Amino acid sequence: MRILVVDDQPLNCTLLRAMLEQQRYDVVVAANGKEAIDIVEQQEIDIVLLDVMMPVMDGFEAAPIIKRLTGEVYLPIIFITALEDHASFEKCLAVGGDDFIHKPFDRVILSAKIKAHARTRKLSQESHAQKKILEYHANQVEREHEIVEHIFKNALNEQAAYPTHCDFHLSPASMFNGDMFLLARSPMGGLYCMLGDFTGHGLAAAVGALPASRVFYTMVNKGMSVSDIAHEMNSLLNNLLPGHMFCAATIFELNESGRSLSMWLGGLPDAYLIDSQGKIIKTIESQHMALGILDEDEFERNLIHLEVSSQMRLLVSTDGIIETENSDGDFFGDEKLKRLIASTSNISTQDIVNTVKHFAGSDEQQDDLSIAILNCLPLPSIKSSEVTYSQLPLSVSMSLNAHQIRTTDPVLELVDVLSKVEGLSAHRSNVFLLMSEAYNNAVDHGVLGLDSAIKDKEDGFFEFYSLRAEALSTLKDAMVILTVSYEPDNRRLVICICDSGNGFTHQREKEHCMVREHGRGLSLLQEIASSVCYNQAGNEVEMIYSLK
Amino acid sequence: MSLSTSASSDGKTLTIQIRGKFDFNLVQSFRQAYAELGATTEKVVIDLRETDYMDSSALGMLLNMKKTLGDSVSAIQIANCRPQLKKILQISRFDKKFEID
Repeated sequence: MRILVVDDQPLNCTLLRAMLEQQRYDVVVAANGKEAIDIVEQQEIDIVLLDVMMPVMDGFEAAPIIKRLTGEVYLPIIFITALEDHASFEKCLAVGGDDFIHKPFDRVILSAKIKAHARTRKLSQESHAQKKILEYHANQVEREHEIVEHIFKNALNEQAAYPTHCDFHLSPASMFNGDMFLLARSPMGGLYCMLGDFTGHGLAAAVGALPASRVFYTMVNKGMSVSDIAHEMNSLLNNLLPGHMFCAATIFELNESGRSLSMWLGGLPDAYLIDSQGKIIKTIESQHMALGILDEDEFERNLIHLEVSSQMRLLVSTDGIIETENSDGDFFGDEKLKRLIASTSNISTQDIVNTVKHFAGSDEQQDDLSIAILNCLPLPSIKSSEVTYSQLPLSVSMSLNAHQIRTTDPVLELVDVLSKVEGLSAHRSNVFLLMSEAYNNAVDHGVLGLDSAIKDKEDGFFEFYSLRAEALSTLKDAMVILTVSYEPDNRRLVICICDSGNGFTHQREKEHCMVREHGRGLSLLQEIASSVCYNQAGNEVEMIYSLK
Repeated sequence: MSLSTSASSDGKTLTIQIRGKFDFNLVQSFRQAYAELGATTEKVVIDLRETDYMDSSALGMLLNMKKTLGDSVSAIQIANCRPQLKKILQISRFDKKFEID
């Protein structure tokens, strides 16, 4: 413990030094206020004994400067004074003095005062050190939150807004209270939404949201069903989260026409289907346990299907709304929420949030009021992006013997191969249809010699396919040749399928065609292909499919 | 290629979902899917969201279902078709007999 003695009288300095050194204090001496300031600037001083009257700079002037220099840690300044008047005492206190010691010095009083102030100084130093540590950790947490916020913002960025369809409210820091709202459209045009509420707060609640949002976007992008998404997300969270953590969620899809809603509800408060006036048409209760609890084999994927119309709206919320408490300890509750919804037509999420905040009565930031309202309107159709086509010609040909005809499914494999050619993937359903019709025609009627008329009999459809399986199992000495050519310059596919069957005679071609194709198949081929042409023998068909 | 069925929570809707390829290879399992319809079932949904391919045999199977179920259900809906499959259904005038959504 180092004590600075500031006095212009050498006698006083010597006396104090002797008394203090005897008590094992480290003593530094200055002759005036200016010298004292220099020392405080350069050395760690724990207590200052400061004379009032000094040349160059007196104690009243030096005290506030010394206090300023010491910053946040308490540095006791004890004035050495011979003055006895109140005005002087007050002045000492006003400039930052903490105590007085009178001349002549009393050893016991001096010792007691030094000890008391030393203790205070030590406490102040300790709390300062702790404060520093706290600040460090607070900064660290803040930084981590910033990072997570950044990642979330980017992760959720692909979230396009659908303002006419979906109105939602999430607080800016919602991820740290575990709330999440996701929105995306599938290739088939459906609008998918997920409102989730992870247990807990802070980073722990936020971690699950990231992988969950990935699963959601990926699966919506593939056009998977709501039940598959719920199932996949449950498996993911079950593996990922510790046992006591889970995610209450509602996942739903409004289809492109806006007429049908499919919902999976696990653990969130009731959802409401309302009309534009706010009248509740249906209260939809949670059906399942929250995501991340049940094992795969226990998980229930059942959905609720609702027929909806453009006048209808669906309201979903997390428990933040109904569990908001006012100063009397009352909850907002379902009943108030229902009355609020019914109180006005076309209520917005902001109206609801404002009312709930008003109810809570405090200015405190309510950060877990998450709510979404979906308007059940038809969705604008999805524009397909411009397709580029490969410039390279390609020709694939395969001739199948009886064994291969019996045991393989060549059409799908061939379509898979063709789909790899740039630009063709977008046409794969049509290409499949053309080849499947023509190939099955070649096998069923050409090679196997089955008669389509069987299909017209009662239950003939199944009879036909069991006859087919039977005939196929004993097939010998047969061949079907499939050839597909991609012509980039004409931007078309030429598909040729011929079989080793008997074909049919030229005269009966037209009529026979109809029989062989069994009507429906033929009209489909003619609509999808730009030309369909049989050879004279009737055992070979050439189809041209335009990619334009 | 696979087929799965699921009933809605209230038992009123049966959903038959077909993945990949919808053709005559599914003749048996497709018939099975609607063979034992519960008494509460009012509507059957054929969910084609994951169906990439179909041909005229699939159309035949759908018509067969329509014939078999008759008036025992109030609606048969073909849902979530990809655009090319929707066109196939339209060409075949299936919109006259089924609800295509």
